[in-house]
Amino acid sequence: MLSFFKKKKKKVVIIGLDGVPYTLLNFYIEQGVMPNFKAMMGEGSFHKMETSLPEISSVAWTSFMTGKNPGEHGIFGFMELREGSYNMYFPNYTDVKAPTFWDAAGVQSVVLNVPQTYPARALKGVMTSGFVALDLKKATYPESAYNYLNSINYKIDVNASLAKDNVPAFLKDLSFTFEKRREAIRHFFQNEDWQIFIGTITETDRLHHFFFHHALNDGEFHGEFINFYRKLDTFLGEMYEKTKKENALFLTCSDHGFTPIKTEVYINKWLIENGYLELTDKDEGIETITETSRAFCLDPSRIYIHLNGKYPKGTVKDSQYQDLRNELAQKLKSLVFNGDKVVKDVFFKEDIFKGHYADKGPDIYVLPNYGFDLKGTFNRESVFGITHFRGMHTYDDAHLFISDKLSSSNFKIEDIAGIVSRHID
Amino acid sequence: MNADERNSLVGLNLDEKIEYSKKVIRDSIERFDCDKITIAWTGGKDSTTLLWLFKNVCHDLSVPMPKCMFIDEGDVFDEIMEIVEKLKVEWKLNVVICKNNDISDKAGSLGGIVKVKDLSERNKEELKKINFDGDEFPFEPESYVGNHLMKTVPMKAFIEDNGIKSLATAIRWDEQEARIAESYFSPRNNPEHTRIHAILHFKERDIWDNIHKNSIPFCKLYYQGFRSLGARCSTKKFSDIPAWEQDLENTTERGGRGQDKEAIMGQLRDLGYM
Repeated sequence: MLSFFKKKKKKVVIIGLDGVPYTLLNFYIEQGVMPNFKAMMGEGSFHKMETSLPEISSVAWTSFMTGKNPGEHGIFGFMELREGSYNMYFPNYTDVKAPTFWDAAGVQSVVLNVPQTYPARALKGVMTSGFVALDLKKATYPESAYNYLNSINYKIDVNASLAKDNVPAFLKDLSFTFEKRREAIRHFFQNEDWQIFIGTITETDRLHHFFFHHALNDGEFHGEFINFYRKLDTFLGEMYEKTKKENALFLTCSDHGFTPIKTEVYINKWLIENGYLELTDKDEGIETITETSRAFCLDPSRIYIHLNGKYPKGTVKDSQYQDLRNELAQKLKSLVFNGDKVVKDVFFKEDIFKGHYADKGPDIYVLPNYGFDLKGTFNRESVFGITHFRGMHTYDDAHLFISDKLSSSNFKIEDIAGIVSRHID
Repeated sequence: MNADERNSLVGLNLDEKIEYSKKVIRDSIERFDCDKITIAWTGGKDSTTLLWLFKNVCHDLSVPMPKCMFIDEGDVFDEIMEIVEKLKVEWKLNVVICKNNDISDKAGSLGGIVKVKDLSERNKEELKKINFDGDEFPFEPESYVGNHLMKTVPMKAFIEDNGIKSLATAIRWDEQEARIAESYFSPRNNPEHTRIHAILHFKERDIWDNIHKNSIPFCKLYYQGFRSLGARCSTKKFSDIPAWEQDLENTTERGGRGQDKEAIMGQLRDLGYM
């Protein structure tokens, strides 16, 4: 066909903003911290969005990139137990069971820093993996892209271990990583041929985990927040203008929201205190579970029934399964901290996971009220406790911005893949 | 070697694979003298298979068996030492154990702090080469510094001190992606020698099929579910069933090896998971 008869390719640009809540953006827009975002809102539509359950990055970004529920894409958390054992492993990109929208479309794509895409695999375009990614070389395709990233001292992630003992060093590293992230996004936007462009910012989530208690008020780190979000707003404004010149659709979205932590809640300690779990050595964790144990929890709040036949030391019979789940659900719903209910809702796996791999999901998933950060840690001395973490994820406060007026308003994270696919089709 | 050649070698049946490996070994014996070849032996399934192949070829050619180099990185499983001692006697092997004692002695125990100023000049030089400029480090065999001092350094010293021309190692293409570019004979610098990779085309499944078919002794850790063996502190069982009964085709052989796992756990822990 002669080239001037060819339909002009429709392009999409997505800037992922890890852990950026809808409500926080609204607040900063009202406060005048984000003038560019405010201007974008006038030309498009801005929505509150529900994310996946569990509401953590690995699961949520996989729902984002596949358009599927965990029961179909197979990722339920950062760690899993090998079938028929208590050996923990860490699912990576090769464990994602559904195609990503860029692979499915087969169009020229640039995919930067999307979590759960390590190790990178070949695609028509460029990819560098996001969290958890260990080795930049294995995280990047093709090699020329690795050579570029290496040459600018690109960093896959902020060194979060600094936040515990050396806050100034952490903030410096955050700022450096954010700068490199923007530099890489600009470079590939400019120098690659693409129809789908995705660049994700992780630094937002990292800032939130340690300092979200000062996101909205005048605490010690509020100034850091304002500075960071001003920089972010400038960058979004810049990318939005560049996208307009390409006549592309522009989206920003997050994989979950954030809220300050009132207390952490250690589900395994609760299971131990209530007689459901016994470990011979709690520091060694799940591998020391006993035959008397009826349930255990993996992060963040995935509860598994210790079934006979499924686990080497499992003794719970199939006939006891439903009663045990009901009993646990009822008790968890009545869990209270300083007079406040900890748990918002308790789901059984068949309520929230659909698809071929649904059965691999947790038997029970516990969704907390804001402020109660549920954890699967095994070695805690009490059910409630405070650490250096100050922000926790929320399920119902992710955001979606589209440079288009959309009629619908009830968005879930797995809807984004469909929006992209329909646009470029 | 291009992908088609590689694929056709990987696609051979077990007997053909064994024949091909023996041919590589015969060629290497022709190129280098038997006493200038060393076999790197870890006590694991792959290098034991390599030894078995060498043993057969040497027997057929009526030439002496090359010596074996075993690197003690400071945290070896007892079960590995057991199989090494057993085969040393049964197969009449000349096994040289290489260990950087300067480091392990100064550390005292695993995790012990090693002060750079107490080390030998050779080890100080080696630390400079990897741009390590701290005053001390904890003794961890599979950390970056530990790996260099406890594995790379004794291997280099052995090659240099014995005038070794070639080192046979048991790497395989299907073991990990980083291996895909390897060829049967690979020249190395610093120190100058040639690597012989006689079983590149073996898959994990072939290794086990051959071990069982020919009753080759193997380390009992594989019975317990280990798939790939490294230092004790950083190697975990992959499952509770024997290695060869696991789903070899759809799971990662090195999944129980510590380096990656520890690093992932560290990152997750820093963000409040685990």
